[in-house]
Amino acid sequence: MNPGDKHSVPEADDTSSAESLSLTKAASFFQERPPQAIEVAPQALPHWTRRDVLLFGMGAIATLVGGSSLLPQTTLERLGVIHGNKDWSKKEWLLNRALRIDDDVAEALYSRNRLVPTYAKSQITPLKNNYNGATPDPSYIPGWRLTLDGLASGLSVSLDIRNLLGSFRVHEQITRLVCVEGWSAIAWWAGLRFDDLLSAYPPVSQAKWARIESSVNLGPYGNPDPYFVSLDLSTARHPQTLLATHLNGKPLTVEHGAPLRLLVPVKLGLKNIKAITRITYGKHEPADYWAKRGYSRYDGI
Amino acid sequence: MPHSMQLANEQIATSAPESQAAGVVVARRHHLLVRFSHWFNAPILLGLILSGVSIYWASPVYQHKPDPVTGNFDPLADVGIWICAHLPGLHPCSSPPDWVYNHISLGPGMLAVALRLHWLCAYLFMLNGLVFVIGLAMGGGWRALLPRPTDLRDALKMFRYYLGAPLAKLARRSWMHPRFNTKYNALQRVAYFSVPVAGLLSILTGWAIHKPVQLYWLAAIFGGYDKARIWHFWLMWIFILFVVPHVILVLADGWDTLRSMIVGWSTRTGRSEGLEQ
Repeated sequence: MNPGDKHSVPEADDTSSAESLSLTKAASFFQERPPQAIEVAPQALPHWTRRDVLLFGMGAIATLVGGSSLLPQTTLERLGVIHGNKDWSKKEWLLNRALRIDDDVAEALYSRNRLVPTYAKSQITPLKNNYNGATPDPSYIPGWRLTLDGLASGLSVSLDIRNLLGSFRVHEQITRLVCVEGWSAIAWWAGLRFDDLLSAYPPVSQAKWARIESSVNLGPYGNPDPYFVSLDLSTARHPQTLLATHLNGKPLTVEHGAPLRLLVPVKLGLKNIKAITRITYGKHEPADYWAKRGYSRYDGI
Repeated sequence: MPHSMQLANEQIATSAPESQAAGVVVARRHHLLVRFSHWFNAPILLGLILSGVSIYWASPVYQHKPDPVTGNFDPLADVGIWICAHLPGLHPCSSPPDWVYNHISLGPGMLAVALRLHWLCAYLFMLNGLVFVIGLAMGGGWRALLPRPTDLRDALKMFRYYLGAPLAKLARRSWMHPRFNTKYNALQRVAYFSVPVAGLLSILTGWAIHKPVQLYWLAAIFGGYDKARIWHFWLMWIFILFVVPHVILVLADGWDTLRSMIVGWSTRTGRSEGLEQ
């Protein structure tokens, strides 16, 4: 052993003790602490208890009344809390506010440059006919035309399916369609980009919205029930927002919105309107079929 | 740990003779923010579950072959049919399958209202979770929740105690409560640690199924959109299965425990919880 070795021994000890000190420090940081005990006058705890239980009770009653007033009217009627129709427009404020905040979050999450996930052909799943109400009679298809309104030219343009397929490039994608109800389907779509249509037929300046409607939609008893959705033009310009003409390699069937439907994978299925007959551009947000029925308006997913 | 324990015991020991004459010693148990978030969670969770079950009915995951008589395919609706058939006064119920829907959720066919209520409660739940975490950090209560190496063995001991306690009471025999020198016993710790974790997972799976396209990577963590829905569904059952014994045990434990979650202070000044009587 040389003297140098002897010197190194205490040094090594020093570092290991410093390490173990920091280890115990770390361990004691996570260690449960003894309860903070104080001595109080004998009446102090009953006094605090009375005060806090009263406060708690008031809070509980306020929450119960406030919370149950948010329940839907039919639920309150079923529970026997209210009888008959009452005007409840004011209570909707808080729920509408939460819906708007959620729409703002969805809008913040959206980016025109972020592509949605695409899938392989082996991942394709069945897609059900989810026509709200009844499936329309296919007799509308031969005479079908798409009308564009609110264009920069000031004119109204009417196109048939051959105009559309002949003058635009067809894009394909396998994407997921997500329904507000919770089910989803992966399907193989083809069609023209909405963005290309917007470039070919530019909307009026400062237009931010498109109202897209289908005049052939039917209600639950087979009566005419035109369907219409609002779509912000930022979403319409997304590269995966298609005006779809084909599903799984074949032209769209009447169940899936022949001959032209909207395919917007960044939105809930209910925005993916079938059998589009008219698109109108404008500065102001147009009405939306499901927003009128209590659903959100932006529906970004 | 033994050192700090001794210190705590000494503190109590020195103040004990005085307390008999002048006052009482009380110990802080829960921070104000923890108490607030604990109670506020109750209505929020109720709203989330009621609206969540209603949303689930719009597209139920678990289905069986349609019943030849009723045409019902939903296992929970079977419960409604059973209840209507066996409880007096409910038969004939206007719609036996809907009985459960109408009594344990907002009801079927109410997707729009259920979604609005669910978003409101979900944002409140996230805010409330933040309040809870801040309260734990400020009061230092998080340390009492951390799992320990001895927890599995001690949790089994506690489980054995809870199983035997009602029987011992009936037989009028003494039944020793296991001794722990911590704020919570191991079983409580497992529960109080898991429930916030389940809350966090509910929030994450909730976002995964709410924004499955923009947050597709989050859905992918849980095995994709459809699997994330199933995670979200079963996480709800963790809350339901936690609440039932939680309420029973608090009530069995007595007023001091319940009061400490309202007032924040307890007369149990030692670290040990529920020593042998």
